[in-house]
Parts: sequence; structure tokens; C-alpha cells
Amino acid sequence: MHNFEKMVIRNGEKNFYRFSIHQRLQHVVLFSSVILLALTGFPLRHPEESWAKPLYNFMGGTDIAPMVHRFAGSVLLFLFIYHTIYWIVLFFKNQILPLKREGKLTIGGFFKQLLTMEMIPNKKDLVDMIDLWKYLLYFSSRPPRHGRMSWREKFDYFAPYWGIPILGPAGFVLWWRDEFSHLMPGFVLNAAYIMHTDEALLAVLFLFFVHWYNVHYAPEKFPAATVWLTGYLTEDEMIHEHYADYVKVMIELGLEDEIKPQHFGGVTYKW
Amino acid sequence: MTIIQKIAALCVLLCSLLIVPQYAAHADDELNCTMCHKHRGLSRVDEDGNFRLFYINQELFDSSPHRGRRCNECHSDIDQIPHKPAKKVDCTQQCHIIEPSGKKKFSHKIIAKTLSESAHGRHKSDGTLKPHQEDLPSCKDCHDQPLYRPLSFYKGESPGMSKRGISRCKSCHATGDFVEKFYEHVTSRLHKTRTSKEIVKVCAKCHSDEDIRKRHKLDDVVKSYKETFHGKMVELGSEHTPDCIDCHVVNGESVHRIESRKVATSSTYPTNVATTCRTSECHEKASPQLASFQTHVTYSREKYPMQFYMLIMFKGLLAFVMYFFLLLIFFELLRRLFPRFVWNKAKRADIQGVEHD
Amino acid sequence: MVKRFKKFIFNFYVVLLMVFTVWYGTFMYPLIFGFSGKEGAAESLRDIGRAGTEAEKMFIKLMADKGKTKTTDLGYKVLEQPYIEGRFHHIGFEIDQDKASRCIRCHGAVPHDRSKEVRSFLNMHAFYLACESCHMVPKKGDTAWEFRWNDKKTGEPTNNPKILVTIDVPTKKGEDGHAKYATYGDYGAKIAPGYMENDQFRFISGQKEMAFVLDYIQKQDMVGSGQRSQMKKMIHLKVSKKPLLCSACHNQKTPYLPLAELGYPPRRLQDLTSDSVVGMIEKYKKFWIPSFLTPGEKRKKEMENERR
Repeated sequence: MHNFEKMVIRNGEKNFYRFSIHQRLQHVVLFSSVILLALTGFPLRHPEESWAKPLYNFMGGTDIAPMVHRFAGSVLLFLFIYHTIYWIVLFFKNQILPLKREGKLTIGGFFKQLLTMEMIPNKKDLVDMIDLWKYLLYFSSRPPRHGRMSWREKFDYFAPYWGIPILGPAGFVLWWRDEFSHLMPGFVLNAAYIMHTDEALLAVLFLFFVHWYNVHYAPEKFPAATVWLTGYLTEDEMIHEHYADYVKVMIELGLEDEIKPQHFGGVTYKW
Repeated sequence: MTIIQKIAALCVLLCSLLIVPQYAAHADDELNCTMCHKHRGLSRVDEDGNFRLFYINQELFDSSPHRGRRCNECHSDIDQIPHKPAKKVDCTQQCHIIEPSGKKKFSHKIIAKTLSESAHGRHKSDGTLKPHQEDLPSCKDCHDQPLYRPLSFYKGESPGMSKRGISRCKSCHATGDFVEKFYEHVTSRLHKTRTSKEIVKVCAKCHSDEDIRKRHKLDDVVKSYKETFHGKMVELGSEHTPDCIDCHVVNGESVHRIESRKVATSSTYPTNVATTCRTSECHEKASPQLASFQTHVTYSREKYPMQFYMLIMFKGLLAFVMYFFLLLIFFELLRRLFPRFVWNKAKRADIQGVEHD
Repeated sequence: MVKRFKKFIFNFYVVLLMVFTVWYGTFMYPLIFGFSGKEGAAESLRDIGRAGTEAEKMFIKLMADKGKTKTTDLGYKVLEQPYIEGRFHHIGFEIDQDKASRCIRCHGAVPHDRSKEVRSFLNMHAFYLACESCHMVPKKGDTAWEFRWNDKKTGEPTNNPKILVTIDVPTKKGEDGHAKYATYGDYGAKIAPGYMENDQFRFISGQKEMAFVLDYIQKQDMVGSGQRSQMKKMIHLKVSKKPLLCSACHNQKTPYLPLAELGYPPRRLQDLTSDSVVGMIEKYKKFWIPSFLTPGEKRKKEMENERR
């Protein structure tokens, strides 16, 4: 399924492969455009706050900032389309074609493949989430052992992937309002306006707190995670966040003896 | 709202030329009123507890269309020295200017007439007074001294006056400050003399006042306007986005003719909204369907069900997602402080020990 | 030791993050549910509905309006000026508060209102004359009084304001005529009496007297009501019953205040003590006779009449 090294050793440290350069570039485009959108959009959402006007003027004022916003929005929409094509191609190349070659492709099999994709939430995610709450509320003694994609990462992924299809078209309608008025009545703009502003608030509140906690604020990550640059997780991060996957990879590579115990918050666990 | 009291001036001018000091600050001030009124502290608290300041800023007065008018052209009840508290100025009185297009004496009477016929007039069409007519505005409720906002056209359009720009005029019209004043007068009219934000503030004076709204059964239209894209852009300083006047006055009509949306000639009468939105400077290319956009949305379930339920949905989603993760992160942080604690002591056996690193 | 320190830093950071999380929760709340913090100002006006009398309404409004300013955007500059309800003409600027006067602490900056005819004039003078200049006179046996400018911010003696000289020279106003407003009366200082003590100038109302008043204001609720009357008496001990009249200074022969020494240019001086002002005062006397000569007397008479 994967044709890359799952683990490389650099300077005697184990590094676990996570994102391809292609994926990392998509992330860079994603966050640059989202940050631009937030900077040019948020002052407009709360214009009466004291920071709004200086920030908006810094972003170009009432003449330039809307153009910046529309540009960044267009980039984000294109990225969304690009990413959709990207995962469909990957899906066919890695999951469907091998089946087809073996002649095992059925309609049921196709959907089964679709639902077992890496990013699709599954039963283990629900169990992990419940286990995590049990652990956080001191009912169990050890945190859940996440696979390659934890439920929180899936949520992080689907936040923009669900957000853009709502924000983007709504923003597009608001942008080309005169032209769209020939296709639909004016009150659609009222709906688009609510969709655009409230979904944007969710995205911004979520990204700048939950996502940034995951990759910046968390004590283990502070000041910043490096996986978005290097594409590799360190052994420590791997143990901390993806223990199940860590064990799996180590066994696959025949390194059973070198498996370290799970740890969290300065406590190690028997495994 | 407190009724604005008369502009009074306790101080006085002296009649004879002898007494006019030789350094009279401005030639316009023939009556030398500023001898007293130039003092920043000329003020009192009157019988009703209102603070009254009688200071006149001559420079600012000179950059208003009323510059050059003698004080007693408006404060016409002041005819002796010293003067008693002056009466409220009647803006509709004739003044000494000859209005150049009609060669008649100038007066604001026409504007007062337009206002009286508008939604803000005090009389119904049958001549009887409207209920609570005392709330309805007169000139000074919306206007303070207008100030010129000249435009500079020299290499780009920006507010202010370009010396290079008017130097062309000055080469012929060289005497006095004629060019500056004429230029200011004309170019101030080429754009808004008050910014959109100030216009909204003017309307908000009454339309945001809870008491007045209750008496006249009005929604808080300023609040709902501020929720719109138009309102937000204006708040951020845009001058190309419509304020109250732009939509509530028929394009090309006097701005004082604001009519109720129930009046067939008003710009906001249901069948006229499309025309108003599609005026040449705004949504020119839009179809008439655009008119079904709802501007003054109050988020009441009865009036705007779509917005109401959408908002409930979005705010619910927002609150749920955000507070779920907020709690999760809070507890995760707390767990780090007490990593070895478990309610059930038997489970502590899982823990191997404290990490050494 | 190092390990312990590390553990402490770690825990400290975790607690800090927890605080941040809680803060974020409160920060989000108004954003999500759409309450703007700016509505607070309007909220203080909400009590108006409950106010019974006009006076109560006015008080609530004043409390809500405190420090309210009005901005006028002219495009090339923004005017920021105090907001006064019902005012048509522009003021153009804010003025410095007088922090040095102990009288203003209770009486306010616009204190004169007894003699209706001239109160605005008196308030105008209160802008550049300390209360003590007119309401106190040297008693027999006092050290000779001198008058100096008392800085409104610091309460210390200060140089004669330069603006007294430049104010009448139009070229000093700034090239476009807008840059600086010629403001009569706003000199940043007030003329106040004082005397020399051990080669040092001391204002009649100096820092010491100010401290006494501030102390009184702070503790007036704690002292007995009898003591309060006593203290008020002490504060007003030097106030003379009859204030100086206009003609004390506005006369050519023996002006009470040494205006020339205080920095008034000859042209101004001549104006203040010659026909234009003195003549007007004369006119005023005729216009408002008899009350003008003895401000406040008329009211006393009225009260006596009422009693009868």
C-alpha cells in the first residue's frame, strides 16, 4: 500500500514517516490562505472592536483588504478542488487498481475500501474518544493507543474539509452578488451571509485554539511541531500520540525488542 | 431628549468703531462678537442644569458654509449691547446672501418644507399633529455647524486641498482667500460632507433610543444595519458603502425627503426597493430579484424564520464543538498535573513508574 | 535538582495553559452568541426608564455621557472635541483639566452661577485666574502677595505662557490657518497669589493645602457630621466675603493684578484696561444695574423679601 520507508534513522534517532512533500505543500498553501482570510475577514466581522480598524488598515484598508480576501479565498477554493482530485487519484491508485488487477473488485468491495480509508472516522475512533475521556476524568489509568490517524487529527482534517464547501460557495455568492441575483432571489444572500460569517468564526476559533494547541501550545509540542516541515515524527511524538501505530510499525520492521513503553505526562506504562 | 435651548450669549459687542480693537482677529467679525466669544471659558450651567459653552472657534467657523455671515444674521434677536440671553436660532429666516441662481434672498425654508413633508415632519397629511411629534427632529437635531470637506484632485483624489491644484485658479483670482473658499465650497459638495459613519451616528441618536423607539413602535434599525456588510464596511471607514441616506432617499431627491416605506413614492416602498438597489453607483448589474434581500434583520422567529433557525443551528454547532474541545483540553492539561492518580486504586498497577529523562 | 526545576517549569506552563483555556472560553462566548461588548455604554442609560423626575433623568444621562467626545472626520484631519448636548458650533479641541486647583475638586470648573447676568464672564475668568485671586484678599499683617502663573498639571509656579504674546500674531497660527487654534483663556496655567517664604515662592493654595482637601474628600464619610462642618470651615477660612470686582483689574490707574509682569503684551494690556473692556463693563453696569455692581446681593435681597 505504501511505497516509502516507514521509518528512517537519522543521527541515531528513529523518525517515522508521516506526510509526503506534496501533502506538506498543500498544508502550506492552506494555512497561508486561511491566515490571510482571517486577517482580512475578522476585522470586518467585528468592526467595532478597537483592534479591528488598525488591523484592517494594515491589511490594505477598505479598498485593498477585500481584494486580498477574495484572492486568498479563491486560492483556498482551488486548493479544496485540487485536494479532492488528489485523494480520489490516490484512492484509485493505491486501493482500487490493485483490487482490479487481481479481479476482486465488486461494488461492495469498492465501498468497503472507501470506508476504510485512512481519514474516514471508524469504530476505533469512537472507542478511543470514550477511553480518552475515561482517562482524563481519572477513571482509567492509561490514555488510549491511537492508530496512524487519531480521532482528533481526523477532526482537524474535516474541520476545513467541511468548512470550505460551506464558506467558499457562500463567499463566492456574496462576491458576485449582482450576477447571482439573476439566478436566485436576494434573500439567498442573507443565508450566505450567515453561513459565511458563522462558519468562519468556527474555523478561526477552532484553528487558533484547538489546532494550535495540538501543534503549538501543548507542553510536549511547545513552541512548535516540526512534522509540517520535515514530514517525520520523532519516536517520542510517535509514542505519545500514535502508540498503536508505533507498535505496529516496529513489529513490521522486525524491531520488537526496541519498542519503548507508552508514556504520558511523565508517567510510563507497562505494555 | 432634552430640547435644545437657545444659543445665548451673555457678552456683548460695543458699537462704536472706537472700541473695536485694531487687531480684530477677523475682518468678517464686524460686530466684534469674538471679543468675548473667543474665550474658551465663556460658559455656565443654566437653571435646568444644562452646560452652556459660548466659545466660538473662529478658524472652524471660517471653514463652514456660514463663514462671512455676521453673527446677528442668525442670532437676529440680538440688537443691542449688552445682550440678554439670545433666542433659539430660526434656521428658516432669510439671510442677507443673494442666492446666485435665483437672485433671491437665501433661506433654508425650502429644506424645512421638504422635511415637514417627509416621514420626519410633525404633521400628518391632514394637517393634524402626529402623535409624539415632540420626538421628531428639527434642524439642529441632525446638524451641527457643517464643515467643508474639500477634495484634492491634484494627482489623485483625496480629501484636503492641494496648493498646486488651486495655484492655477490663483493666477487670475488672486485677491484674498476667494479661491480657497470657493474651491472648498464646491469640492465639499462633490462627495459626502459628512462621513457615512457620522451619518449613521446622526440617525442613531433617535433610532437607537429605546424610549423613542417604544413610543413610535420602531425596530432598532441602526443595530440591524450595523450587522450588515454595508454597516460593517462603513464602521471600518469605507466611503463607498451606503449609509442610511443612500438607500432611504430616492436617487436624486433632497436628502431631507426620507419617507416611510408605506408611502408609495418612498425609496423603500416594496416595489421601489429594486430600483433603489440598482442605482447606477451600486448594484447596477443586479436583477430586480436582489430586492428580496432583507436588510434590517432582527432575528425574531416570527419576522425572519430562516435567519432565526440558521443562527440557532450555527451557534449551536459552534458552542458544541468549541466547548467540547475546550473542556477536553482543560482536562488533558489537568491530567498532566496528576498523571498517576486514578479513582480505582487497583488500576494504578498499570503504571510502570516515573519516566527518567 | 535540575529535574525538579524542570518539573516545576512544566507544571507552571500547564497551569498557565489552563488559565488561557478558561480565558478563551470567556472570550469566545460573546463572539459566538453575538453580544458586542460595546453595548455596555447604552446599558448605563437603561436606568433612564426608571427615573422619576427630569432631574433624575438628566443625572443618569450625565453619568452615562461622562467623557463623551464627538469626532468629525474632515478627511484630511479628524476633529475630536468634547460633546455638549445641543451645541451647534464646533469647539475643535479638548482642553487640559485643572488638576492643581483644590477648589475645583468640589465646586467644578464652571462654579459661578449666583449672579445670572455675568456668571459666564466669571466662569471665563476661572479659566486663567485661580479662585484665590479674586476670592481671597490679603489681610493686614500678611506677607505681601505676589502673583505668578500656576501650572494646571503640576501645581508648580511656571513661566509666563508664550501664547499670550503669539496669540494675536496671525502668522504664528500655522500656515494653513488650521494647524493651531488661537485660544483665549486656555494657557495651561492660572494666575494665582502667593508669597515669598525663606526665599522660596509659595502659593496661597499650594501642595500642602491641596493634600488637606484631598484627605478631607477621602475621609469625609468617616468623620462625624459636626467635625465635617468644622473642616469645611477650615478649608474656607481665608475666603473673603466680598470677592474682587471687575474694576479691580480692568482699570488703567491701579490694576490689582500686575498683568505686564505676568506676560501680557502691551497691546493686550492696553485693551484689557482701556475703553474696549472697561467701556463694556460700564455699559454692563447700566444694562444690569443694580445687580451687576454687587453680584449676589440681589439674590440676598430677594430672599429677604421672601422671608417677609
